[in-house]
Amino acid sequence: MKEPFKIVICGEGGQGVLSIAKIIAHSAWLQGKQAVYVPYFSTEKRGGVSIAFAQIGDEPIPYPRFTKADLWVVMSQRAIPRIAEYLQDGTKIVANSFLVKDFSAIEKWKPYAIDAAGIAKNRLKKPRTFNMIILGAMLKLIPGMSKESFSQSLEKTFKDKYEKDPSLKELNEKALTIGYDLIS
Amino acid sequence: MAEKKFLMGNEALGRAALAAGAKALFGYPITPTSEVLHFWSKEACGPKGKERGLIFLQAEDEIGASFMLIGGVLAGTKSFTATGGPGHVLMQDAFSMAEAMRLPVVAYLNQRGGPSTSTVIYSQSEVNLACFGGNGNGYRIVYAPSNLQEMYDYGIKVFNTAWKYRFPTFLLGDGYLAKMMGEVEIYDPKEKGIAMIDPEAYMLEKKRVRPLEGLVPSPELEIRREDGVEYACFRNCLNYEEETLKVNLEIKEAWDAVAAEIVEHEVVGDPDAEVLIVAFGIVAASAKTAIKMLAEKGIKARLFRPITLRPFPDEAMRQAAAKAKRIVVAESAINQLARFVKDCLYGRVNVPLTEYARPSIGITPSEIVDVVAKL
Amino acid sequence: MNAAHAEHNLAFPECVRIESKPHLFCPGCGHPEALKALGFAIDELGIQKKVALGVDIGCSLLAWDYFNLDTIETHHGRTIPVMVGMKRANPDALTIAYVGDGGAYAIGSGHLLNAAERDENIMVIVINNAVYAMTGGQEAPTTLPGMIVDTAPCGADEYFIKGPQLVREINPTAFVARGITSRQLELRKLMKDALKFHMEGRGFVFVEVLSPCTLNWKTMDNPHKTFDFLERVLARAYPVGRF
Repeated sequence: MKEPFKIVICGEGGQGVLSIAKIIAHSAWLQGKQAVYVPYFSTEKRGGVSIAFAQIGDEPIPYPRFTKADLWVVMSQRAIPRIAEYLQDGTKIVANSFLVKDFSAIEKWKPYAIDAAGIAKNRLKKPRTFNMIILGAMLKLIPGMSKESFSQSLEKTFKDKYEKDPSLKELNEKALTIGYDLIS
Repeated sequence: MAEKKFLMGNEALGRAALAAGAKALFGYPITPTSEVLHFWSKEACGPKGKERGLIFLQAEDEIGASFMLIGGVLAGTKSFTATGGPGHVLMQDAFSMAEAMRLPVVAYLNQRGGPSTSTVIYSQSEVNLACFGGNGNGYRIVYAPSNLQEMYDYGIKVFNTAWKYRFPTFLLGDGYLAKMMGEVEIYDPKEKGIAMIDPEAYMLEKKRVRPLEGLVPSPELEIRREDGVEYACFRNCLNYEEETLKVNLEIKEAWDAVAAEIVEHEVVGDPDAEVLIVAFGIVAASAKTAIKMLAEKGIKARLFRPITLRPFPDEAMRQAAAKAKRIVVAESAINQLARFVKDCLYGRVNVPLTEYARPSIGITPSEIVDVVAKL
Repeated sequence: MNAAHAEHNLAFPECVRIESKPHLFCPGCGHPEALKALGFAIDELGIQKKVALGVDIGCSLLAWDYFNLDTIETHHGRTIPVMVGMKRANPDALTIAYVGDGGAYAIGSGHLLNAAERDENIMVIVINNAVYAMTGGQEAPTTLPGMIVDTAPCGADEYFIKGPQLVREINPTAFVARGITSRQLELRKLMKDALKFHMEGRGFVFVEVLSPCTLNWKTMDNPHKTFDFLERVLARAYPVGRF
């Protein structure tokens, strides 16, 4: 039995943790993959830690949660202990180095430290492209997902928003590419 | 036309109610079920919803919502509510009245942590409440879907079951099923050859198809026909113990006559397996994956999954259990599903039973693998 | 006039179910007076076939087969939401919730206030006798200061709920009135006006009726005392009229 690719994302409430996981699962599904997303939702939306789970595979995925992740994304310092139990040998890590400063607990996994917030703010001048940069980086690490088809599915996901603001599409593409190219 | 969509469980439920021809949702916001209300309120105020006469009302609380639901049903409208956790607790007052008077109320119930307010996320600890809440004897029909597609399929079916058999009928989901997103095939029941059953009013119905006599327990009903007009009076407050006994026996008799038609279950895995896992809902989905993982380790295991928790598939459960050397009941609660299993097997099938009880927390496939492997 | 009415030649409304008489209320109780006033108004307006009557738990429930009207007995305090649901589902129905002061102002107060706030198209009749009558004379939100009742043996506190005033405060366009069983003709007129407002679909209708409870007022042997308490005590604390 072929296991699906398992992704866990954790960060501060309001950072877009849930949106990122939802977009990645939905886009994978639009590409013809099987995908499931489930948030770890609680009463603490702001000022708390958010967690989301996504799985992508070729066969139907019956259960939305898992114990060990293949891709582990942290967007803030305190997210690290919160999802540490999901780490296993070979887990790939993406960390938002704008808020994660102490890597000691995760060093052995050789995390990709990405200053997504810094790039969004300084290079793209649009802080809200933060999510797209993270998504780009994640995309590179998920097997069987191409950037081109992901971009196409994003167009379906953001159809309404792109119609209202065509410049958003270009901006998202740019941010996605930057994130994608940060992973080597 | 059937169409595959990427949907959240709660939206699948909303769409199921729509496909089933439901007209009215009376509810009160609560996590993890609120998106059913969001979906329905949006539908109701759109042009199509207005044309269909869809009704949405956000009540003052779950008690209000559930009694409005009774009003909707008495008026002969396919009505439903959606709640979970503390809201589910509050609705037992109305569900009890519906049970007493054979009113086909429909509720989508998504379990969250308990007891008390607890987490808004997930549990399987509303089994007792859904099946046996209230001060009656638990004559309600409870379906437990196991995946997103079943949220849609059984989200439709509950309406037909309710109006055909005239018992309160619930869909018992959970926070994971409610909030997860994935593929769901949306279809019109007609395409699948599913005929939808028409509702009929209990009150102000002057051209009745199905008589109230023989449906509503006799001590609770007085009908007068005057000048060709029928006036139906209903009560649930009774004066004598004997009347109450009669009500209960009539309800039981009606239930016993149809329970075998309603009951549903699923068995997955090798019939020769020594280990029988019993699980329902999302934990059964987890167990299905666990069975495949165990097979890779050379361990044969089988899953028995009650689809209706009430009526419970007693006969099928006994048959499956009789073939096993060991039973493992896995549930995100303590002794709720397990109690049903023990009650069913007691004195009939003697197989050792292990309980894997994880109240208000999910059970992953690898946990189940560990439990079975350690037996 | 139907046969039963003709035979008995009684001063009952046509829609009253003679077969269920004698009624189950206590001698001197105000409920039958309020119900009769409602029945005459229903007769006059010719709406018997369209009325759905919801009765609450408490003495109100004894009205469950009082009329030849489609009637549903609900749970304590829950008659208002049942009638709200019914009206929403069947806008042609004339939906009346018949409730006691405990059902309306205590256990079901949230439903009352919110139905008024949403301007639900239902008619609510509240029988105010200043006590919990069926359960044996306990304190109600309407019990007057100093009244001795079973759960206030040293006298009730100084606060009490004035339903119509409260509803008017919440809903400026509703029909809001208070009547009294001792003024039967006035009460019939009030019921008729209320029903007309309801039939026209003009929004929330709220009628409180001051009504004697001879059992718990301990005045069953003395109609003068009953009348006195109703008119001179209750009606002074709760002014009768339109609000």
